[in-house]
Amino acid sequence: MEIPRRRFLGLVAAGAAAVVGAPLLKGVLPATAGERPKARYALIIDTTKCTGCGACIEACRLRNHLPEGVSYIRRIVKGNDRKPWFLMIQCQHCANPPCATVCPTNATYRREDGVVLIDERLCVGCKYCMQACPYQARVYDEERGVADKCWLCLPWVLGGGLPACVEACIPGARLFGRTDDPESEVAQLIASGRAKPLHPEFGTEPSILYYIIEE
Amino acid sequence: MQTAWGWLPAIYLFLGGMGAGALIIAATFEFYGKRYQYDFCPTTLVGATVPGPLVILGTILLIFDLGAGLREPWRILYMFTHFSSVMTWGVWLLTFFIPVSLIYGFLESVDTFPAAREWLKARRWLRWTRFLWNLPLRRTKRVFAGIGVVLALGVAIYTGILLSAVGPAIPFWSTRVLPFIPVPMMPLLFLVSALSTGIGLTVDLVGTLTVGFMEHRVKSLPWIHMAFIGVETLLVGLLLITALVDGGSAAQSAREIVAGTHAVVFWVLIIIPGFVYPFVVHAYAAGLGRHSLASGVGSGVGIVVAGLFLRYLILVSGIPAAL
Repeated sequence: MEIPRRRFLGLVAAGAAAVVGAPLLKGVLPATAGERPKARYALIIDTTKCTGCGACIEACRLRNHLPEGVSYIRRIVKGNDRKPWFLMIQCQHCANPPCATVCPTNATYRREDGVVLIDERLCVGCKYCMQACPYQARVYDEERGVADKCWLCLPWVLGGGLPACVEACIPGARLFGRTDDPESEVAQLIASGRAKPLHPEFGTEPSILYYIIEE
Repeated sequence: MQTAWGWLPAIYLFLGGMGAGALIIAATFEFYGKRYQYDFCPTTLVGATVPGPLVILGTILLIFDLGAGLREPWRILYMFTHFSSVMTWGVWLLTFFIPVSLIYGFLESVDTFPAAREWLKARRWLRWTRFLWNLPLRRTKRVFAGIGVVLALGVAIYTGILLSAVGPAIPFWSTRVLPFIPVPMMPLLFLVSALSTGIGLTVDLVGTLTVGFMEHRVKSLPWIHMAFIGVETLLVGLLLITALVDGGSAAQSAREIVAGTHAVVFWVLIIIPGFVYPFVVHAYAAGLGRHSLASGVGSGVGIVVAGLFLRYLILVSGIPAAL
């Protein structure tokens, strides 16, 4: 199922309205089911498995209808010529996102589940967020004049699916899951301490983690 | 090298800085009484009247650099809303600076040209403004000059904070004053550069063109000039040294400036016209009392051009942190 993004944003707005309205309804509605656990998402990229093939880059481009040569994911080649390895960079969905701090219009915001989104109806296209993102994870949509980036394929995820990059990864280097469930594979990998954020010294606390052997 | 911001933001940062600097100079002349020593004070007149138009022009350029904001201008209103963003501070500062500087410029103009004041007073269609003419002109002017100085300081400093606020994303922009002092250099450098371009415009350029040797009016002027150039040299030097000490992409930025892709801009368009030439000219003026029309105008133009290229250089030499 594919939801046009504008409509999705409408749904998000409706959801936000529901969140605001919920406390008001609490007294009226019977307290039935317990509160649903709040979802928190994480994506772990295993650089020891990544072959740098770029299937994620292309899958992301296709799912998000991006023009040729544009993707929310970009590849950095690390290591040396004899033994290269690949660092795939996309929006790190930081708990402390600098892009949201510098945005003058509040277009960039962080959802409670940790996903950082851009409300493109608010974006003026000043590109300040692109300067402030230490991962340079944002692209500029020339056609609409707004900032754009990975949105973790949120509608698919909320529908029980996976981000396009995870689905497309040929060597299975991408692991997506919920960290609020301690039984999940991602939660256990994080608990093991092997998956680490990129450049923790930036102080951004990303939701995308990497499994890196070298360096 | 960052590519998101190019010439338009550079010109805007320059115009905002020079406008703020010129207003601060005019207000300084006003409050220290220099304005009233002679019948006609071009420095104060230009310093009061020019900042409004300059900053309006800069703001228009800024709007042209927006994507969706240019196509759907009402979105610009959203820029007033998010106070954690330095850009929002800037939008508020401009919103207040522009009318205050326009009013100050108008009051200075009618004070300088009483004929214009009489002409305006005599217009029948301006009869409704009569109560305003009863206000004490000079005191009202001073009020706006005072508010203007505060806002001008804000405008000049914020253009630097705008860059330093990106933090670790572009390390060169957030370089500290000294490696062990956690104060960003850009706001300080932009403030000093704003003042010096303001002096360059209102004193060297306009002053020399209209009344000749400004040194005859302000004896300490060459020394003030040399002090400013000295402080600016110190700040630029510290910026480059601290960036080199920091290493990484900040050091790379500094190397590109001193001896790399941006070296020509730095040495030929900034250091020579904005630092070396004005220093020599004013050292001569201080020592020998000698000054020519060409040297005064030349130093003014040099300082202004260097101020523009300094903003451009700092923007283009910003290199994102290596991942």
